[in-house]
Amino acid sequence: MKKHILLFAAFIASIYAFAQETYPVNGTTNINHVAYAFVNAKIIVDADQTIDNGTLIIQDGLIKAVGTKINLPKGAVIIDLKGKSIYPSFIDAYTNYGMPEIKKGNSWGVQMNSNIKGAYGWNQSIKADFEAHKNFVSDSKQAEELRKLGFGTVLTFQKDGIVRGAATAVTLADTKENNTIINEKAAAMYSFDKGSSTQDYPSSLMGSIALLRQTYLDADWYKKDKTKKEVNISLDAFNNLQALPQIFEANDKLNILRADKIADEFKTNYIIKTNGTEYQRLDDIKASNCKLIVPINFPLPYDVEDVYDSRNVSLTELKHWEMAPVNPFALEKYFIQFAITTADLKEKKDFYKNLRKAISFGLSEKQALKSLTTIPAQMLNIADKTGALKAGMLANFIITSGNVFEEKTIIYENWIQGNPYKINEYNTIDARGLYNFVYGTDRNSKQLKIEGEIEKLKVTVLIDTAKTNADISLTGNLVSISFSQKDIAGVFRLSGNVNADLKMNGKGQAPDGSWFEWTATYINAIVAETKKDSTKKTQPKFGEIYYPFTAYGKPLDDREGFSKVVKDFKTRYDAILIKHVTVWTNEAEGVLKNQDVYITEGRIVRIADNIGAPKLAFAKVIDGTGKHLTPGIIDEHSHIAISAGVNEGTQASSAEVRIGDVVNSEDVNIYRQLSGGVTMAQLLHGSANPIGGQSALIKLRWGKTPEEMKYDKADGFIKFALGENVKQSNWGDMNTIRFPQTRMGVEQVYYDYFTRAKEYDIKQKAFGSQTKTKGEAPAFRRDLELEAVAEILNKKRFITCHSYVQSEINMLMHVGDSMGFKVNTFTHILEGYKVADKMKTHGAGASTFSDWWAYKMEVKDAIPYNAALLTQMGITTAINSDDAEMGRRLNQEAAKAMKYGELSEEEALKLVTLNPAKLLHVDNRVGSIKVGKDADLVLWSDHPLSVYAKAEKTIVDGKIYFDNEEDSKLRMEIEKERARIIQKMIEEKKGGSETQKPSFKRKKLYECDSMEHDYMHE
Amino acid sequence: MKKTIFTLLITASLFSNAQNKSIVILNAVAHIGNDSVIQNSIIGIRNGKITEVLDATNAKIELSNYDEKIEAKGMHVYPAFIAPNSTLGLTEIEAVRATNDFRDVGSTLPNVRSIIAYNTDSKIIPTVRTNGVLLAQITPRGGLVSGTSSVMMLNGWNWEDAAYKTDDGIHVNWPKMQTRSWNDNEQTMGASEKNKEYTKQVNELKKLFADAKAHNESDISEKNLRFESMKGIFNGSQNVYIHANNVKEITEAIYFSKSYSLKKMVIVGGKDSWMITDLLKENNVSVIVNRVHDLPDYAEDDVDLPFKLPALLQKAEVLFCLNNEGDMEAMGTRNLPFMAGTAAAYGLTKEQALKSITINTAKILGIDNTTGSIESGKDANLFISTGDALDMKSNNVQHAFIKGVAIDLNNEQKALYDKYKKKYDIK
Repeated sequence: MKKHILLFAAFIASIYAFAQETYPVNGTTNINHVAYAFVNAKIIVDADQTIDNGTLIIQDGLIKAVGTKINLPKGAVIIDLKGKSIYPSFIDAYTNYGMPEIKKGNSWGVQMNSNIKGAYGWNQSIKADFEAHKNFVSDSKQAEELRKLGFGTVLTFQKDGIVRGAATAVTLADTKENNTIINEKAAAMYSFDKGSSTQDYPSSLMGSIALLRQTYLDADWYKKDKTKKEVNISLDAFNNLQALPQIFEANDKLNILRADKIADEFKTNYIIKTNGTEYQRLDDIKASNCKLIVPINFPLPYDVEDVYDSRNVSLTELKHWEMAPVNPFALEKYFIQFAITTADLKEKKDFYKNLRKAISFGLSEKQALKSLTTIPAQMLNIADKTGALKAGMLANFIITSGNVFEEKTIIYENWIQGNPYKINEYNTIDARGLYNFVYGTDRNSKQLKIEGEIEKLKVTVLIDTAKTNADISLTGNLVSISFSQKDIAGVFRLSGNVNADLKMNGKGQAPDGSWFEWTATYINAIVAETKKDSTKKTQPKFGEIYYPFTAYGKPLDDREGFSKVVKDFKTRYDAILIKHVTVWTNEAEGVLKNQDVYITEGRIVRIADNIGAPKLAFAKVIDGTGKHLTPGIIDEHSHIAISAGVNEGTQASSAEVRIGDVVNSEDVNIYRQLSGGVTMAQLLHGSANPIGGQSALIKLRWGKTPEEMKYDKADGFIKFALGENVKQSNWGDMNTIRFPQTRMGVEQVYYDYFTRAKEYDIKQKAFGSQTKTKGEAPAFRRDLELEAVAEILNKKRFITCHSYVQSEINMLMHVGDSMGFKVNTFTHILEGYKVADKMKTHGAGASTFSDWWAYKMEVKDAIPYNAALLTQMGITTAINSDDAEMGRRLNQEAAKAMKYGELSEEEALKLVTLNPAKLLHVDNRVGSIKVGKDADLVLWSDHPLSVYAKAEKTIVDGKIYFDNEEDSKLRMEIEKERARIIQKMIEEKKGGSETQKPSFKRKKLYECDSMEHDYMHE
Repeated sequence: MKKTIFTLLITASLFSNAQNKSIVILNAVAHIGNDSVIQNSIIGIRNGKITEVLDATNAKIELSNYDEKIEAKGMHVYPAFIAPNSTLGLTEIEAVRATNDFRDVGSTLPNVRSIIAYNTDSKIIPTVRTNGVLLAQITPRGGLVSGTSSVMMLNGWNWEDAAYKTDDGIHVNWPKMQTRSWNDNEQTMGASEKNKEYTKQVNELKKLFADAKAHNESDISEKNLRFESMKGIFNGSQNVYIHANNVKEITEAIYFSKSYSLKKMVIVGGKDSWMITDLLKENNVSVIVNRVHDLPDYAEDDVDLPFKLPALLQKAEVLFCLNNEGDMEAMGTRNLPFMAGTAAAYGLTKEQALKSITINTAKILGIDNTTGSIESGKDANLFISTGDALDMKSNNVQHAFIKGVAIDLNNEQKALYDKYKKKYDIK
C-alpha cells in the first residue's frame, strides 16, 4: 500500500518536472529529477527482445537504463514489478487527436474558384500549408481513451483535403503541448477526398488524381523557377512537405494501387492508410511495395434472419465480414510491412477485442507488437524516441499483469514521458469466473457468475434454473454484491473481501434487515461460446478469395492470395479447339460454315475444315455444331467499370483527367457484358464539358486488376462533347454560370484551348531541345491539360466526340480542319446522316445508337436509319451502348440496322465488332476472325444477330471469361456461399454479438450525363 | 425479297384510305395468339372485324367476296401488339418539361385521366406502330395514386376516336418500404433505410380506399370527384393496377386489395413476383412484368434474371404480360416485340412470348373479348410482317390494321431517311 501512496506523490511531483523552461512560475519552483527504478519485471524491450526479471530506470522523462545487472541510482523510487510485464507504449500513426473541428462550408450553387483568401494555390482542397503542430491542442479525454489501450504516442493531422499538410507526432501526456510534441512535422498527409472544400473541382476521383498530379508538377516548377512569377504559399508548403514521410489515405484496395501509381510517377513513396480490404488483392498490393497503416475495424454481423431483407447484404459484405479479421495475418504472411491503427474503429474500446480476433485468425503476437511499436515509430522517424525500451528513449511504457494480447491481462499503468497514468489498480483482482455461492440461512448451493470486462463486470446469481442479475463493486480486495431474489421483495446486500485465490466471504443483510454470512468459492473460468475456437487453437475457417471480390468472381490461378488455390488439373487448358462451327470472319471470306478454329496463347492459330485433336495436353475441345462464332463485341462507348465519378464536368475542359486512373475491376457489369459477348470496351469520360477526360480501352478480363484490364497496345483517346450537356441545358436553373451556355460558346472553347495548346506545344518542344543542348534551362511548367490537347495536335491522341445535331458536328470539323486535327469518331452523332458527306470529306467515323431518340430536344431528328445510311455513305460506323444494360445486347442493337436501312447481316455484325475496332485503331489485333489476331471470340447459340441468340462462351485472349455452364455453377455457389456465411452470422448473433442492419447499395450506373445526380440520358 | 417488299408497299398505299373494305389475307403464317400457328392461313376482315380464320390447306373461300386481297405467302400475321402501362402520347421530348403530361401534383389523384392528354399527333406514335404495336394503355405516373388509364388505339384523329377502352383502371404506386439516397462520397446510391413514411403512406392509401368505398355506397349527395372516380374498382368494371416490385411490397399490396374486395388487381413491375407465385395465383393476381431489357438489381442475381422473369411466371402459371416502363419509355415502346423475343430466348416458347404482348395483355386489361388474338369475331387488330416480328432482324411490318382500318406505316423518321437518301443519291 505504501508503494501506491508513493506513486501518487510521484505523480503530482512529476507534473511539475515537466514545467516549461520558458514559462514563468506561479509559486515555488518544483524541479523534480527523481529517478524511478522498476525492478523484477519482465521487460519487453521490443518485439525481438525480452528481459526476464529486469530493471528499468527512468529519469527526467527518459529511459536511463534497461537490463538485468543494473545498479540502482541513489535515492530512486523503487517499484517492484514481480510477476508483471513492461511493454513499450504503443504508437498510432493515424489519428486526429487534438485537432480542430473541420467545418464544411455552404456549397450551394456553382463555385469555380477557391474560397480561401490570400496568396494560396487555386484549389481549396490543397491544404499543403496546414501544420498540425501549430493547431494541436491536447485533449485529456481523447488522450485518456487511447492511453487506456496502451498508446503513448500518436501521429495527428487534420483529416481534410487532398493535400492535408504536415502531421505532428505527439505523446498522450496530459501536459503542455510544448512538451508533448515530439516531432513537429512528422509526416505529410494526402488523400483522394477533397474534404471540406466547397470548390466544385474536383468532383470525381479521377479529378482528385489529376489535381494531385498537377500539384506535383506545379510545385516542381515553382521550386525551379528563378523568375518567381508568383508567390504561392500552397506550392511552397507542398515543396517543404516532400522531405517528410508521405502518408496517403486510400480507403479502398484499388485506391492503394492508384496512389502507388502516383508515387511511381513522382518518384516518391507513400505509406498507405488502408481500409482493411487488402487481402482481396494481396498479390498486387504486395507488388506495390508500399508500407501500410491498417485499421482493425472488423464489421459486425448483419441481421440476416429475414430471407427477403438479407438480399440487401451483398456477397462482398458477407465475405468481408467473415474474412476481415484475416487481413493483418494475410499481410504478415506476405511480408508486407504494416502498422496497426485504431482509426476507423467505431468504439476505441473494441481495439483489443478486434486485435485478439486478428490474432486468433493467425496474426502473430510478435507482428502485432511490431505493428504497434517499432514499425509506426520507423514510419514516423521517431524510432530513436519511442517504440522500444532503450536507454535515451522516452519513458513511454505500459505495465501489465502479463501478455498484453491476452484477454485476462490487466494494464495497470501507462507511463508517458516519465509520468504514470493509472488504468487499473495493482491489486485489481480478476474475479471473473464461476463460483459456488452460499448465503443466508438457506445453505443450498447457488452459483455466482462473474463475467464481462474487468472495468465493467457482469454478475448473475443462479438459483436452480433461475437467473438474477446482480450488481458488483470490486475495489482492491473489497467486494460488495447486491441482487434481488425472485420470490422475495427487496434487495439482498452483501459485502466482504476477496483474496488472491478468488475466495470471497463476508456479511450480508436480507431485505428484512436480518444479517447472514456468505461465501463464494471459485470453481472454474467461464468458457464463452466464442472462446472455444481460441482454446482449441484451430485457425478459423473461411471461404476462398474471389477475383474480383464480388458475386461471380472466382479464384484466379495467377493469384496466390494468402490461401493459394490449387487449380483442378482437369480444368486447365492452354488451347481451345472449336469444332464444326459457323464462323463469321468479318474478312473477305465472309461467313464460313462447318469450320474448326484453333486458338492458343491468346491468338487465333488456325481456321480450317477439319483440325485434328491437338497433341497439346491441355486443349479444350468445344463442339460448335449448330453454333456461331463471331469476333468479340467491342463497345465503343461505355461507362461501366469506372470508380467514383464519370464526369469531371466542373470546368469547360478537363483534358487532364484520365478514366484510366479509375478503372474499377470489381464492377459486376463487366461480367454481365461478358455474358452478352462483349470482350472490349472503351470507357469514356462523360459529356458534361466540351473537352472531357482521357478514355481507357479495356479488355473485359474479369478478375484482373484495372491495370491488367487496360489494352496497352491502344492509342490514346479523349472524350469531347457538344450540345445540350456541355451547355448544361438540362441541369436546372442553378447551372447557368459555367461557360459555355450556348453552341456558340462551345466553338470558342475549342479555339481557345487548341490555340493555347499549340503555343504550349511549341514551348514544350523548345524546352525539350534546350535541355538537351545546354542542360540548364528556365523552368517549364508542365500543364497536364494542355499537354493532352497538344497530343491531339501531334496525332498522339484521338477524339471521340459526343454530338447530336448537324450544326455542331460541322462546327467541330471546321475547328479541326483549321487547327490541324481530325475528329476520329463522332459518338452518338444522331444527326450524322445529315452531314455524312461532310464527315466523309473530313475523315471522321461514327459510333451511334441504333434507335434512341426523343429524350431531349437535340435528338428530335434522330432516326434509326442513321447507322445504315452512314455505312452506305462509306463512313466507318459503329453501334455503341452508353448503357450497361444495352451493352450486353449489342448484337441485337446491330441487328436493328438490318431492319432500319437493310444492311446485310455481315455489315450489321461489323457495326459492333470490326468497325469499332477500326475506330479505336485496334483492328490489326481484334475485330475479325483471322489467323494471328487476338482470340477474342464469342460462341453463340444461334444466329448472332437474332434476338434468340445467347452468348454461350465469351473468350478473351484465348481464355474463356464467360461460360454459360460455369455460370450456372457460379449461381449455385453464390447461393451456397451466402447461405454458409449467413448461418455463421446467425450463430454469432445468437452468441450475443451485436449486429447491423442490412442496407442495399445499388451500383451506380453511369451514362454520359451522370453528374452527382441522375440527370437526363444521353 | 427486296422486290417483293417494294411491290407490297405499292399495294399497301392503294388501300390505305379504305375504311370499310373487306380484306382477305392469304397464305401467311398466322400466329393466332393462343399458342397455335396456322402455317398457311386465310384471314378475312369485314366491317372492322375478323370474320374468317382458316387453314388454306383444307379450306376454300370465295375470294371475290373480298374487296382487297393481300397475298402474304412466306409472311407472318400477328395480332396487334399491346403496350400496357405506357406514357406514349403523354410525352414528346422527355427533357423538355413543356412536353410532359404524365405526372401531376398531389399524392392521390384517382380522378386524373390520361385519355384527355393523349396526343394522337405525337411524332413518336407512328414510329411505334411501324413495329406492330397498335394498342397501348396510356398511363399517368407519380404519387400514391397516379390516376386513371385508358386503352388507346395508336391511330385516330383525336383522343375520342382513338379510345379503345376508356378509363380502364386506376394506378396505385405502392409505397416503398426502403428509401435510398445518393451517397456523394462513394458516388453510389447510398444505404437503403427504412422508409419512415411507409406506414403513413399506406394508411393514406387505406383511408382513401375505405372512404371511397363508403362514399360510393352511401346516400351522400355532395360530389367527391376522387371517390367517384374509383367507383369502378369496387364494382369490378375497372382494374386496380398496383405498381410494386419488392416481394414484401407485393405481398402487402395483395392483402390490401383483398381487404377492400377489389375485384381485379394487377401488379405492375413485380420484379420479385417470381418469389411468390403461389400467393399471386391463389389470389388471381396477374402481373405486368418489369421491363425485360433491364439489369438485375443485385450483383448476386442471376445475370439474366430480368430476361427470364417471364419464363419463371409462365412456369408457375401466373398470368403476365410485358411492358416498357422506365427510362425513355415512350419512344422505346417500339422495342416491346423484341422484349418478347428476348423472353423467348430465355425460356418462353415463341408463341408464349407472343401471348405476353397480345392476348395476355388483353386479358389483363380486360379487352380480350375484342382483341389480343386472331379469332373470328374479334376486332381486326392485326399486322403482317415479312419475317418473325419478335426478332429485330426480321421485324418488317408491311400492313397493319386497327379495327380493319389500314394504318399509314410512314413516319417522320422514314421520311427523313428518304430525304437524305435522295440527297446522297443512294439506291
